[in-house]
Order: sequence, then structure tokens, then C-alpha cells
Amino acid sequence: MTLAPDEDLMLQVRDGAGETLGVLFDRYQTPLFNFYSKLTGDRTLSEDLVQEVFLRILKYRQSYRPGTPFRAWVYQIARNARIDHFRKFPRQTALEPEMLPPVLPTDSAQEQQEVELLQRALQQLPEEKREILLLCRFQELKYEEIAVLLGCELNTVRTRIHRALQDLRKAFHQLAHGTMLKKAEAAAAESIPPRGGRHEV
Amino acid sequence: MKCEHIAELLPDYLQGRLSAEQHHHVEAHLEQCADCSEEVVIWRKLSLLPVDQPDPASRARFEAMLQAYQAGRSSQPEGGTEWRKRAFVWSWNVFHWLRSPVGAMAWSAALLAIGVFAGLRLANPKPPSLDLAAMQSELASMKQLVVLSMLQQQSASARLEGVTWSTRDQQLDPQVLSALLHTLRYDASVDVRLAALDALSRHGRQPQVHKAILDSLQQQQSPLVQVALIDLLLEWRDPDAAQRLQALQQAPNLNPTVRQRVEWARSKLN
Repeated sequence: MTLAPDEDLMLQVRDGAGETLGVLFDRYQTPLFNFYSKLTGDRTLSEDLVQEVFLRILKYRQSYRPGTPFRAWVYQIARNARIDHFRKFPRQTALEPEMLPPVLPTDSAQEQQEVELLQRALQQLPEEKREILLLCRFQELKYEEIAVLLGCELNTVRTRIHRALQDLRKAFHQLAHGTMLKKAEAAAAESIPPRGGRHEV
Repeated sequence: MKCEHIAELLPDYLQGRLSAEQHHHVEAHLEQCADCSEEVVIWRKLSLLPVDQPDPASRARFEAMLQAYQAGRSSQPEGGTEWRKRAFVWSWNVFHWLRSPVGAMAWSAALLAIGVFAGLRLANPKPPSLDLAAMQSELASMKQLVVLSMLQQQSASARLEGVTWSTRDQQLDPQVLSALLHTLRYDASVDVRLAALDALSRHGRQPQVHKAILDSLQQQQSPLVQVALIDLLLEWRDPDAAQRLQALQQAPNLNPTVRQRVEWARSKLN
């Protein structure tokens, strides 16, 4: 049963087998949670929104049509849930770097630093650019599906992805440059002996 | 090939969706162009971002939500029982109401009235004070219309909402008053009758309202409403209280609880 395609499971849910939704929950909770957490930087809110998505799936299950890719359908719901949430509760605070999830230690220190910089660079992007990158890179949505989701042309999706990537590269570059400068300063400060010491010699 | 041309192909290149020839063109460009090749590197690096793990309790929360949803659905037989259940919810949500069919109808009517009024105002400009007065009376009559239409709804909950709606105005329109009195006497739902009594008792200082409410005691069939009316008699220190209570006590088939209440009220009067 667990190997059944999402679409078949959703059709069962639509026809009254609510418990089948658990399988879809297991498949989608982490990707959806990551979509929200990387977009908002807020874990608690992300968890609430994931629950809201599944509640909406139950509520609107009759509107699911056979042949609709489930992934695209569920992300449509996910986007709407987020939009509705921020319509009701406008954001008070901007995303703070402290809210980002901790980076797990990796084999290489350099890689870890790069991941950190990349996360920060991603958070610096305007939300719509961050969202489109998340949708195509992490949620593995096809460009055609993103076009339907965002209500735009396929070519517009390509252009937007490219622009988002350009901006991400620039932000990453700036951050990396800043980090390098800080390192250089720190290294320079270490190499200068204490002020008092020089006079005494 | 220039960067602009590559830009069109790059997203498809990243997903490996280019033809062999286009793929080759892009690769050739990437070898020469630092910016574009860096974008590809960034794209690949994105896969290194850690996957955040949701709280393990989320699964249990989902299960609870699913069970609550299914239990909620199975306890709702077909038909309008949901409305009847909601009739017990006294504090109703304005937003919910606005989204309901009745609310939508009332809104449409209100908007139409505003539209007509705005049209008339534009067509024949009047001094501002007159306009304001006209607008106020228009609004008041709109509210009446809403209340009157809601009090005639089939669902008890909608009628209950109508009663609540009627309490928003300090002044009670005669038409609304008679509709509320009718509701107090003949409404099928005890909850709606009680709500109507509550709404009407706010205007108990008006002699005709006062009398009409207490007159309804004789016709009242519901013990709950009878008890509420007896309490009101005492609270208002009605001059005819003793007479009214005596008449009620003589009524055949009087509910024992109500009879007890009448005796208690009479002892209080004395």
C-alpha cells in the first residue's frame, strides 16, 4: 500500500478512506515542513501550517480530480494556507538569522561554512524568489507545475528561477566576501603584537 | 553564446532537460563564463542545505486531528442538524455569519442599498446634513430588513442570529418588535424564544413592550420560557404580577416545576 502512487491514495481519501491520509502525511510532512521552515524561518508556525494543510486536504478532498498530480495539488493548498495565515496575522518581525535551523556538522569545515553562508544568502532573497527556488530545488516540482501554481507562463517560471539564482549568487558572494574580510582582519589582529609590548623593547 | 541566451536555457540545463546539442552549447559557455558557472555551482550547493526534521509529536497531532475530524463527521447525520446544534452556540461569530448564505444575502442587500443611495446622492446633490440623515435612515431600514428576513429563516440558528442582530440597535423598530414578540410566542425552538425574550427585555421600560412581554405568559407553552417570564415579573415589580401569577397557576396541565416557581414568586410578592 505504501508503494501506491500519491494520486491513488488521494483518491481513496476522497472516497472516504480518511486513514489513508496518514500515508500521505508520512510522505509529505517533512518536505512541507521544510518548505515552510526555509520560507519563514519559524519552526512552530511551520508545524502549524503543515497540520493546516492536512486539515484542508480533508475538507476539500472532494475537489481533488483524478489525474491531478498530487504534489502540485498539495503545494497549491500549502501556498494558500500560508497566504491566508499571513493575511490574518501580518508579520511583525523580519526573519532573523537566529531563527535558522542549526547546520549539522559535516565532514569538511569549509563545506559547513558554505552551507551556513548559503542559508543566510537564501534568507536575504525576497520571499517570492526564495519560494520559487524552494519549489523547484527542494520540493522537486516540475516547471510546468510551478507555472500552474504561480499562475504564470512556463517561460516566466524559467526567467524567475534564473533571476532568483542570480540574486542568490550575488548575496552568497557578498556574504563570503564579508566573511573573508573578517577572517583577514582577525588574522591581521593576531599577527600584531600588543601595543605596550613594542615600546618596552 | 552570450549570457542572455544561456539564461533561457540554464533552468532546463539544471534539470537535465536540454537536448544534447543545447546541453553542449551551455557547457561550452560555462567553461568561459565565471558568473554563469557559479550559478550552476550555487544550484548544486543548494542540495547541501540540511533537511529540517519536524517535531516527532507532529504525527500524533495529525492523528488527533484526523480522529476529531472523522468523529465530527460521523456524529453529523444528513440534513440540517448541524444548524440545530449550532443553535446552542449563543455567541456567534460575525465572520462566520458573513460567510453563510444568509449573511451573503444580507450583505448583498446592504450593498445594493448603499449603491442605490450613492446613485441617488450623485444624481441629486442635497445639503450634507440631509444626506447623512437619509443615509442613517436607509441603514436603519436595512438593519430591520436583515433582522426581519433572518427571523423568518428555516434554521433555528439563523433565527437566533436574527434575534442577536436585533439587539444591536438602541431603538426598537415597531416591525422588529412585533416580529420578536411573534418569535417569543410561536417560535419552534426554545432557545430562540429565550433569546427573543432576552432581546425584548432590554426594552422593558417601554410600556407597550413591557405589557406585550408579560401578556405572552398566558400563551407560553415552554416551561423554560415560562420560568424566565415569571422571574421577569418579579424583577420588574409588575403591578399586575399577583393577578398574572394567579391566572397562570389556574392553567390546566401546568408543568410542576413552573407551578413551584409560581408559588415561590407569589411568596416573594407577599
